[in-house]
Amino acid sequence: MRVRDRVIIAALAGVGAAAVLRLADWWFRPAHVAQPALFVLLSLAFWYAVSRIVLGWVNYAAIASPAPRTAPPGLRVAIFTTSTPGEPLAMFERTLAACRCVRYPHTTYLLDDTRDPRFRERAERYGAVWLELLDVPGAKAGKINRALALTDEELILVLDPDHIPFPEFFDPVLGHFDDERVGFVQVSQAYYNQRRSFTAAGAAEQTYAFYGPGQMGLYGHGACVAIGANCTFRRAALASIGGHGIGLAEDLVTAIRLHAAGWRSVYVPVVVSRGLVPEDLGSFYRQQLKWARGVYEVAFTELPRLATKLAWRQRLSYLAIGTYYLFGVTTPFFLLVPYLYLWTDVQPAAMSFAEFLSAAAPVAVVGGGMYLLAQRWLCDPRSERGLHWRGLALKLACWPVFLAGTVLAVLHAEIPYIPTAKQAVRGRFLRLAWPQLVMIVVFGATVARVVYRRAHATSEGSLELSAEAVWGMVAFATLPVIAAVGALYAAWQARRPRADAPWDAVDVRTIGGAEA
Amino acid sequence: MRRRYRIVVVVVFMVCAAAGIAGLSALGTASEGPLSSALGWLGVVTGTIEHRVRDRIEGPGRRARLAWAAPYRDDAERLRHPDVVLLGAYDGGIPRTLDGVLTLETRIGAPLPLIQVYSAWGDKPDQQFPLRLVTAISGLGSIPLVTWEPWLSDFESARHPNLPLPGARDSHGLAAIARGDYDVYVDAWAAEARRFARPMLVRFGHEMNDPYRYPWGPQNNTKEEYIAAWRHIVDRFRRAGARNVLWVWSPHVAYEYWDLYYPGDDYVDWVATGVLNFGPIAQWSRWWTVSEIFGPKYPRLAAFGKPVMIAEFGSLAVGGDRAAWYRDALAQLPTRYPAVRALVFFQVRDDQTVTYQKVDWTFIADSGVVQAVRDALGRWAPR
Repeated sequence: MRVRDRVIIAALAGVGAAAVLRLADWWFRPAHVAQPALFVLLSLAFWYAVSRIVLGWVNYAAIASPAPRTAPPGLRVAIFTTSTPGEPLAMFERTLAACRCVRYPHTTYLLDDTRDPRFRERAERYGAVWLELLDVPGAKAGKINRALALTDEELILVLDPDHIPFPEFFDPVLGHFDDERVGFVQVSQAYYNQRRSFTAAGAAEQTYAFYGPGQMGLYGHGACVAIGANCTFRRAALASIGGHGIGLAEDLVTAIRLHAAGWRSVYVPVVVSRGLVPEDLGSFYRQQLKWARGVYEVAFTELPRLATKLAWRQRLSYLAIGTYYLFGVTTPFFLLVPYLYLWTDVQPAAMSFAEFLSAAAPVAVVGGGMYLLAQRWLCDPRSERGLHWRGLALKLACWPVFLAGTVLAVLHAEIPYIPTAKQAVRGRFLRLAWPQLVMIVVFGATVARVVYRRAHATSEGSLELSAEAVWGMVAFATLPVIAAVGALYAAWQARRPRADAPWDAVDVRTIGGAEA
Repeated sequence: MRRRYRIVVVVVFMVCAAAGIAGLSALGTASEGPLSSALGWLGVVTGTIEHRVRDRIEGPGRRARLAWAAPYRDDAERLRHPDVVLLGAYDGGIPRTLDGVLTLETRIGAPLPLIQVYSAWGDKPDQQFPLRLVTAISGLGSIPLVTWEPWLSDFESARHPNLPLPGARDSHGLAAIARGDYDVYVDAWAAEARRFARPMLVRFGHEMNDPYRYPWGPQNNTKEEYIAAWRHIVDRFRRAGARNVLWVWSPHVAYEYWDLYYPGDDYVDWVATGVLNFGPIAQWSRWWTVSEIFGPKYPRLAAFGKPVMIAEFGSLAVGGDRAAWYRDALAQLPTRYPAVRALVFFQVRDDQTVTYQKVDWTFIADSGVVQAVRDALGRWAPR
């Protein structure tokens, strides 16, 4: 990062820190405590949200990217990609063909348990080694570990089968293994189907900031993480931690164990492969549930066990990652506050709505400014820049899913590892949209009640004095209703997924070049 | 050329920045930033609009019923020389709700065109100009009477580095007000009052001659300092163009030499005092009628030639016949005290300002008193 950028970020973060202090000074006035228990809950939810914003700034302050290194010749490199029953053959056709086109000499292995002879035939047609690995526990990661025992290349790219690598995939990656301490090298993740539906666009938008400034900041803190889709590992590193981690968040678990074992990681912010995001809302919810449940393993299992072996900046980064989905716990509380007041007159905090807005506005302005500023580090700014409102709408819609993931994690309940659907599946509107519909009905009923009571049943002596509080709360309840429209549209779209497969239009030879 | 160009750019930037900063500062009041001020204003406007919409739906509200009081609430000159007795009340539900006042006026069968609120000096949001309250009072068709109390120690030292520490402020605090040390606050209040625009009564530093009650009393200040502070504040308001504010001078007439605190005919619009019967609950008190409390002082009060207000009017229940107290007081008021042009019922359930125990001034639950008040007012009060 250039000095100028670093100064700008530091200055913004400094202003932001002052704004957060001022907000805290205001928030925690004794006079604001209306219902002590509820105030504590509201404060926890609110300051969790503020802390996420601040953690983002801490991360952006460390943004860094490694100096490019050319790949030395003569490295022995493998690509592992896995196939499981039910995954579409046509997709493998593209992936395997693309693997063959990757220029750096390598061996591609198809780790197959489909018991479908066509997969073997395709592997052999595209020059890949077919490994049949039946009944291996641990799903994808289990098969990777088994394949590690059967192969001997020193560097292994774990590639999700929906990811189509560009011919130059290894060129910016392999040079970083010159440093003996580097355990894995992660590249950006990008997609080729994000324009096919609202859900796909929103899901992709949610990842843009992470794969740009997010991972670059983590790299700066020495904690950039492995992403299962397209990460290149050093065999010795994996061997030192007893193989690839297993579980719903196998990639994160692997990353934290490697960091704890002293290995370094490198994040190269280039797009050298493109894959799939969920195109229908149902698949997106299932993917998010899997992630939410899985990521808590970092917070509950790995971090407590490994914290002493991590640097403090790595600890902070993994703590931030491991608690990301608490969003699902705090959101319903925020949603409830206006209804609690409008129906029962109970207010957790005795705050004037206007005062809250003016106290919180500086934090929001700095947060928004930082978000936009950080967009200069997006991996593909041309296609990724923007306000990402679809991603935000989907994130807000996801709170029941995150909440379920949190509850399952706290209860230590397992959910099965099922690969995310590669092609859109048809969803029923009501089944997908009922949380939003319920909220809209409750909102409508509440507004109707408020209007009726204000028109006929509120005493004249209280009317004007309570106007700010009541209509402020109604405004506060309106924001999530507006955001719900996005999720409703996504659910509506899921009724009729596109008939063609996303990879139909992909030409393996031009996918990289066309985007470059 | 190049240099000239740069200088022009810098000058244009400076002018724009100065205009922007001036604009922003003008948006806010001195104690509130532009954003909170604008949002507070938005809340008040929402309330006013909602009230009007409600009147359309539900039919005309109290404001329409109080149409006879319109000359006094819309015209400061008429309010300065009223030709009727304006009744009013302060109710313990304020500032949360004004319903207590409305209930009271229904029970006693007489409208209350004056509504009193108490507003302290200080930095906190509820110590600024009570815009929401006075707007709501005006929305109900009443005239706001604000008792404005200079609690100087409520200003935070961090925000006012020029002021002495809170503990040292009360000693000759009125002299400091007169010097202009608190002009930031006074001017902000005055600007807001001017923006409110409708006539309002302000009772500043009441009971200034009582050495046992408030920090602005004679234990900390001389009467010359009091008069100087009063005149300074009135001058600041006049300079700010807040001509809609009428000044109510309100000594405690039980103490001697109260009339020496009079700030002058040019600076006072109304003279006022409290008439509260504590009965035998305090050592210094016994059951006193209005004639005993107020009668001997009335001639001097009336002699100022200003309309007289009984700003806090009430009796406790213990020690006598409360219904008779009210009946007698109200019956003789127009004839014995013709200069009295305002009477404000003091209705607080748990008042602790004077005594160490909580006392209850409300009579709404006592039907005997309510009936007595209703009957007495029925003979002379405007409907």
